[in-house]
Amino acid sequence: MSDDFITLKKVSKSYTRGGETLTVLDQLDLTITTSDFVALMGPSGSGKTTILNLVGGLDSCDSGSVHVAGSEVSSMSRSKLPSWRSRHVGFVFQSFNLLPVLTALENVMLPLQLTPLSAADRRKQADFALDIVGLADRASHLPSQLSGGQEQRVAIARAIATDPDVIIADEPTGDLDRSSADEVLQILGRLNSELGKTILMVTHDLIAAKQAKRLLELDKGLLVEDQQQEA
Amino acid sequence: MRFPLRLALRHLMARKVRNGLTVMAISIAVFLLCFLIAVVQGMEEGVRSASSHRLVTQSAVSLFVDLPTSYQQKIDTIDGVHLTTKFRWFGAYYQDRKNFFAQFAVDHERFLDMYTKDIEIIEAPGGITGPAARAAVQKAFSNDRRAAIIGIGLRDDERFGFQLGDTIPLIPSLYPRVDGRAWEFVIVGVYRPLKARIPETTMYFRSDYLNEAFDNGEALGTHGAGVYYVNTDEDVQIDQVAEDIDALFANGPQRTQTITEAAFASFFVSAIGNLPLFLGTIGGAVLFSIFFSVVNTMMISGRQRLQESGILQALGFRPIVSTMLLIWEGLIISLLGGSIGILLAIATEGGLIRIFAQNIQNYHIGGSLVMLALAISSLLGIVAGLAAGIPFLRSSPTEALRSSG
Repeated sequence: MSDDFITLKKVSKSYTRGGETLTVLDQLDLTITTSDFVALMGPSGSGKTTILNLVGGLDSCDSGSVHVAGSEVSSMSRSKLPSWRSRHVGFVFQSFNLLPVLTALENVMLPLQLTPLSAADRRKQADFALDIVGLADRASHLPSQLSGGQEQRVAIARAIATDPDVIIADEPTGDLDRSSADEVLQILGRLNSELGKTILMVTHDLIAAKQAKRLLELDKGLLVEDQQQEA
Repeated sequence: MRFPLRLALRHLMARKVRNGLTVMAISIAVFLLCFLIAVVQGMEEGVRSASSHRLVTQSAVSLFVDLPTSYQQKIDTIDGVHLTTKFRWFGAYYQDRKNFFAQFAVDHERFLDMYTKDIEIIEAPGGITGPAARAAVQKAFSNDRRAAIIGIGLRDDERFGFQLGDTIPLIPSLYPRVDGRAWEFVIVGVYRPLKARIPETTMYFRSDYLNEAFDNGEALGTHGAGVYYVNTDEDVQIDQVAEDIDALFANGPQRTQTITEAAFASFFVSAIGNLPLFLGTIGGAVLFSIFFSVVNTMMISGRQRLQESGILQALGFRPIVSTMLLIWEGLIISLLGGSIGILLAIATEGGLIRIFAQNIQNYHIGGSLVMLALAISSLLGIVAGLAAGIPFLRSSPTEALRSSG
């Protein structure tokens, strides 16, 4: 695998809303190396989340190409994308998106259903993921019995349970208080530094952005700033 | 396809009230459906079980016009005719008009011989059982002009509770007695039907008891036969025998119409309108309305779960998994409701037979009906789940994730 882990070449994406075409990304070129921790910032509508969706294979671009972990995601058929996502990408959402009817452990075990692991191994791996985020003792709790910070940590455990190459985090601290946000950022930092996970994070929070190794700023679909940050 | 079935069960448990109400609605609908189908099947069974060697001769004018008693001797002479008996509707009731059951005046010396394969004598005078019971009842039937044989239903129905040896008074509506009193009958035998065609709540008594009362001026009426039941020999063309009987009376004094017992039974089913179609329509309407109820429940569930579909897709599940989840949920709900409805139908079978004994012959919740009800329930759940789950197949992960859930 080359160092260029994520590559977007001449990527354009536009949406049509109410008969009006809105260009979100315009001929964007972007390269992210393995084990990088990238923060994406910019005003609303600048294309941050669209980049996450394209890299995560949740959306497709109008033109250009998107390569992730050696696969050209942009040319993958809709039927192949779910399987690819399950092996390569872990998602962390702003509003946690845990399934409320499942316990923390069951939420973490959910993506493991798609792996060839035995039930015992799935359980072991989910326990390990919960341990990483410091919530092993909350395994049997429903999301409604957890605080926002704990919910997001469970969501992170779910995202890393299948040991994906890249973690895509869309404003992971957006719904959290400062203290919980710091805990979540600390975990993301450890996942990057200790486990070598490539992290692509959208944030409006400058403190969160400072945790990243690289800061990208977008405006109107164009990359306007790209800076490496001190650890 | 790997499938988080546990998730389906958790969703069902998370909405106990809504799903519980839907299960109840389905169970009532399936119970009604089982009831209606069993009624229709009972009617059809009656027709199916008719003897293939028996004819019924009635007036060509109307079933309500009596035939002369002299016809019987003439019918007996026709080639292929084995045995005949008169049947005459009596139309009396026991104590109260609500306590109505069918009574027929028959030829006492022929009746039991004609129905050897149709009824089994289960109670006879002197406690005689087995093959000898029939002879014992025949003897008692011949010895007492007031003798009557009743079906087991009249013994077991608590409204009647007739027992062997009882003298029962029946209040006439067609043939009043001059003294204004009730007709009295003595129970000399109890039978159990061996064919679905034979009701278990009918009483057969001697036609000469009736005729003698008319002759003596004790009751108002004339001799006659409502119909003649004709057993044919087994090796004859039954249609030819029917033609021969009708040809014999073509020039009067009353023309006859002779049909098979099956056709005669069909006539009674169709005489009350196309009841199978009517009941089937009601059953269909019940099913249709409950189908929309289940679809509605599943669609509400589906709308609330669009975001979940987006989450599952982000985790790597195909969109069809969310659809399958709803199908599973629909299936579980409908099978649970269907099973309760079937159990209800089985549990109430005996009670319904007692309540509607005169109206629903051969009512039975059989294995094939249970399987049909389960199949209908399953189909209901699958279609409802599919209807609610199809939007998941069309939505993109990003659209689904954006939905409010």
